[in-house]
Formats: sequence, structure tokens, C-alpha cells
Amino acid sequence: MPYHQFKCSECIPERLHHAVDKGEGEQLTDALPLGYLNTIPGTISERGCAYCGAKHVIGTPMKDVIHISHGPVGCTYDTWQTKRYISDDGNFQLKYTFASDMKESHVVFGAEKMLKKNMIEAFKAFPHIKRMTIYQTCASALIGDDINAIADEVMEEMPGVKVFVCNSPGFAGPSQSGGHHKINLAWLSQMVGTVEPEIYSKYVVNYVGEYNIQGDQEIMKDYLHRMGIQILSTFTGNSRFDDLRGMHRAHLNVLECARSAEYICDELRVRYGIPRMDIDGFGFEALSDSLLKIGYFFGIEDKAREIIAEEIARWKPELDWYAARLKGIKVCLWPGGSKLWHWAHSIHKEMGVEVVSVYTKFGHQGDMEKGISRCEPGALAIDDPNELEGLEAMYELKPDVIFTGKRPGEVAKKIRVPYLNAHGYHNGPYKGFEGWVRFARDIYNAVYSPIHKLSFLDISKDEIPTDKGFETQQTYSDARLSDEVRNSTELRQCTSKYDPVPGLRAKEDSYLFPDPETGELRKVPVEKLRKNKVVEIE
Amino acid sequence: MDKKTAEEKMSQLEWYITKHCLWQYNSRGWDREIQNERILTKTRQLLCGENALEDNNYADRYYWSEAATLVEAFKRYFPWLEKTSKEEITEIMNLLKEKMDYTMIKGSLNSELIKPQY
Repeated sequence: MPYHQFKCSECIPERLHHAVDKGEGEQLTDALPLGYLNTIPGTISERGCAYCGAKHVIGTPMKDVIHISHGPVGCTYDTWQTKRYISDDGNFQLKYTFASDMKESHVVFGAEKMLKKNMIEAFKAFPHIKRMTIYQTCASALIGDDINAIADEVMEEMPGVKVFVCNSPGFAGPSQSGGHHKINLAWLSQMVGTVEPEIYSKYVVNYVGEYNIQGDQEIMKDYLHRMGIQILSTFTGNSRFDDLRGMHRAHLNVLECARSAEYICDELRVRYGIPRMDIDGFGFEALSDSLLKIGYFFGIEDKAREIIAEEIARWKPELDWYAARLKGIKVCLWPGGSKLWHWAHSIHKEMGVEVVSVYTKFGHQGDMEKGISRCEPGALAIDDPNELEGLEAMYELKPDVIFTGKRPGEVAKKIRVPYLNAHGYHNGPYKGFEGWVRFARDIYNAVYSPIHKLSFLDISKDEIPTDKGFETQQTYSDARLSDEVRNSTELRQCTSKYDPVPGLRAKEDSYLFPDPETGELRKVPVEKLRKNKVVEIE
Repeated sequence: MDKKTAEEKMSQLEWYITKHCLWQYNSRGWDREIQNERILTKTRQLLCGENALEDNNYADRYYWSEAATLVEAFKRYFPWLEKTSKEEITEIMNLLKEKMDYTMIKGSLNSELIKPQY
């Protein structure tokens, strides 16, 4: 695999080893992009910081928590109503965000007193919330505020409250990935093992590296609950603070986003002997294999097979409707960390799209190993590209659509390449069988939307055609199809509801769990499914 | 089975694993050695009709469940396995283990593999 020289980066020679072209028959041992390194001077990286990785990715999806940043108010903005990490109890974590609001005087004279005052004020303002996480920022780290000491004082003065401190300032790593690492290990060391959770099933897992983006966790939870599996905690989407304190009692850690959360799984394996099982929640085949191996682990593989067969029968005709129309579409798969490998092979095999490039902003070399292995020869793999490299790649590869975040996505739109939001999604959830069809529908709508054709017309100089009537996506997509496919009565468009999540929540009283002692199947009250009992360990 | 045929068949199995399996990518070299050893050994045992569960603790059960899922997929993708003798399967799987240890560990360019801590 030869390294790829971007013309725009010839003046930054260090960038050469951050991109490779995957050639036919070549191996990972021939070339692998560098990764997880400090941003090179002269190249403007599109990464986040270590504070962002700790707080905005992993901390804030926890739903019953006051999340407070100890720093300037600007650090905290991004969580406020801009993320899609939803919860099933009112989205407190999205509606409110907190900052201690450090100013110059605090930098000079210290901000501990002010932090304590603000913590107490926040607890009093929201008396039903008894849990708090505090995130150190660059400012509070540099002046050396002892946040842990303040947290201890507040816990002593306010019995019943619990506070977790995450010391991951923005400069604590090359990118947000450094923050993922820090909060994983901090949570494990400070919080895991401090409660005993109630176990109500023979089969108990933690679902790790899953953030409930537009309901991803809830769609996967449905499958696991139908198998009778208790989800002790989800790290961290739609999860309760106290559930995550009881992670040590699971039988298995089911790991989705290894990039952000492998650390806690690895340490739970070392310290508590809980195995780590990496899974894919995306793609019919990969998800089926994942459910099957969870089933094998507990000896309930037949139950897994039943669910897989039921879901595929329900959703495959809809996936295939889109696959027929997406075949040959060129995609740049440019997410943050893990989706390059979660999606690369499945979108190619199941939707027929051609992945012409993969990139990762904050992934490590291990993520590139997975991504390169899973995409087809000819793809360009890039680590931490700058904006000019992204533009050069798009001009060269001419993708029909890119899957990326909103910042590079807006850049793509400027050169009239449609983009899908690979982080927060457009019309998710994208996980699960139903979610995968929703993803296919979003790709279809992105690629074939008539707006793109119109956007190529410059009304200041181009002639506007007046001989054409109303056009739809299908006008374009079906033009190249055979009559057999176009008129198929087997295939159909997505029938998923506008928002499938309320339907999933309404099913909560239908699940049966095997008693841990007797194995007898029984229902578990919905209140317990949502708020499991935990006992404090003194 | 001559060596060339065994290597061709091994390459098919390797292709499946690199494309579909996430267990080979743990982030440390010593961890990858354990994953390869335990899962590929159990896969060979299952393909040869042997008992692959040792003591049924969580760790062993995990390796076994990865292997059992892999064996199902192998049989789905590669029907020639049904007609392959136990000796030949053992030969192919030994080659596979050797290749994966090289690609994922000994010859890997991933500089994180040698870090001692997670």
C-alpha cells in the first residue's frame, strides 16, 4: 500500500505517512497510516480536545446527572440541545448544561470556592437530581484547583448526593480520544464497585460504547430484552449514574464503540474477569452474527436465531428496495472514530455502495487496521485530514455522498457534495435491522434529492430549464433500473415510523427474563427496567 | 492436500476473518496473541468435531462463543469445509494461526501494540 501524497500537503512532509491507498492484494503489514499523534504544526486539524472527548462523548449521555464544567462558560456550550443522545426520562441531560463560569479573577485568585457555591446552587435548583459529574477544563487544570476535595466537601454537606470528578483538561492528549481514555479509567477507579445492583436475570451484560444516538441503544435493548438478557448498564447512552456504578456484576461486556470505550472493558476483564465481546450493531449480517454470539455465550442461541429471522423477514425487502437503487454509488466514509469499520463492509455488501475513502479524525492505528481491512481495494485511507486534504480528496474521488460530521459536512456542501451526519445522524436510529433501513433511506434521499441538481444551476448566468415538470428522487433513481426491479411487488420503501422510539418504549412490559436461581420466566416491572435497585456499599 | 492448496484455502478463511471479525483487533500485542490462540484453537476443535469448552467459566465461554459463531459462518461461506478431513482442517488452521499472528502482531505496523498498559 503506497502512502498517498496530497498536493496541498507537499509543504508538510510529516503528513505523508498519514494516508495510504489500499491496493489489490496488499496487506496491513505493507503500510498503515500513523494515528493518534499530536497535530502537526502547519496543518489545521478538525479534531476535538480531550475535555470534549470525556464530557461531550462519554459523560453527558448519562441521564440523571448534573453535568458541570469547571471552567469558562464557552467550554460547556456544545452539549446544550446540540447533541442527540436522547434518554427515556425527559432528556434532562440535553436540556440543561452547567458551568462554574470561570473568569480572569478566578484564574488569579482560585476558583474552588466559586465551584462549591455553584455545585450547591445546581443541586438546589434541581432537587430531584442527586448525581453530579464535574469536568475539569484547561483553565481549572492550569491553576491547580483541587476539584476532588471540593466534591468531597459537598458530598459531606449534602447527604445523599454523589459526585464524580473527571480530570481531563483539553490539553490532556492529541484529540478527544485522550479524554475517552481518561474518563473510562476514572469511572472504573472511582465509581465501579461502589453499589450492589439487583440481578433479575440469569443473563447479565453491560452494553458498552453505546450512546443512544437518536435511539440506537433502545433499538438494541429491545433485541437483548427479547432474549431475556438484563442490561445492567449502558456505558453511557440512556444510562443512570448508579447503574454504571454496578458494572462489576455483569457476566459479559458487549462492546460496540471500541474506540471510545475499550479501556473500561479491558480493565473490567483484568480486574473482575468479565470478558469483552466486540459487536457490530450495524448491518444485517454483522448484527446477526453479533446477536448469535451473545446467544452462544449464554446458551440461548436459538432465541437469538428466532429474533434474527423475524427481523430479517420484516425489514429485508425494504433494505433491498434501497440497495437496488444505491448500487455503485460512491461514498467517502469519513466519521470520527469507529464507524469507518462498523460501516465499511456492510454498506458495500448490503447496499452495494462503493467506499472510495475512509478517514478517521481521532482514531488510532487499530481503527485504521479495521477500516482498511473492511473496505475494498482502491480506497484512500486518511488519518486526521485537514480541510484542504478533504477537499482535494473529494475533487479527486468525486463521491456521490459523504458520511461525516457537521463541520466537514458543510465544507462538502460548498462544493456540492451531499453529506449525511455520521455522528448525530439525520433520521436515526441507524442501529438494528430497522435502523439500517432508515440509514439506507437517508443515503437514498441524500444522493437523489432533486435539490442537488438544482443547486448546480447558477441563476445569475445559467439558463433555467422550463421544459421539465416536477421531479422526485425516484425519477432519478429508477431510470437505470430494470422493469423487474422497478415493478417488484416484493421490495418496498421504508415503512419505519417517523420516530420508532416511542413504540420501543411501549414494549417494555412485554419482556420475560429467566430468574437467576430457578430459570423460571417472569416479567420484570417497567419501573425496575428503567430504574434498577442498587444498594450502596459503605 | 498439497501446501499450495492448503494456503489457498487458508487465505479464504483469513479473508473472512479480516473482513468480519473484531476479536483480532484488540489493542495490545499480548492480548492479540491470546485472542488468536484461544479462538482459533477452539475453531479448529469445533471444525474437527471435538469438544472445545474447557471449564465453562466466563472467559472460556467467551472464546468458545466467538469460535462457534465463526464456525457457522465458515460453513456458510466455504462449503468445501464439510468435505475436508480433520487432518487437512488442522493443517489449514495451523497455517491460518501462523498468518494471523504475523499480520496482526509480529509484522504489524501498529505502534500501540507494544505499550504495556491499556
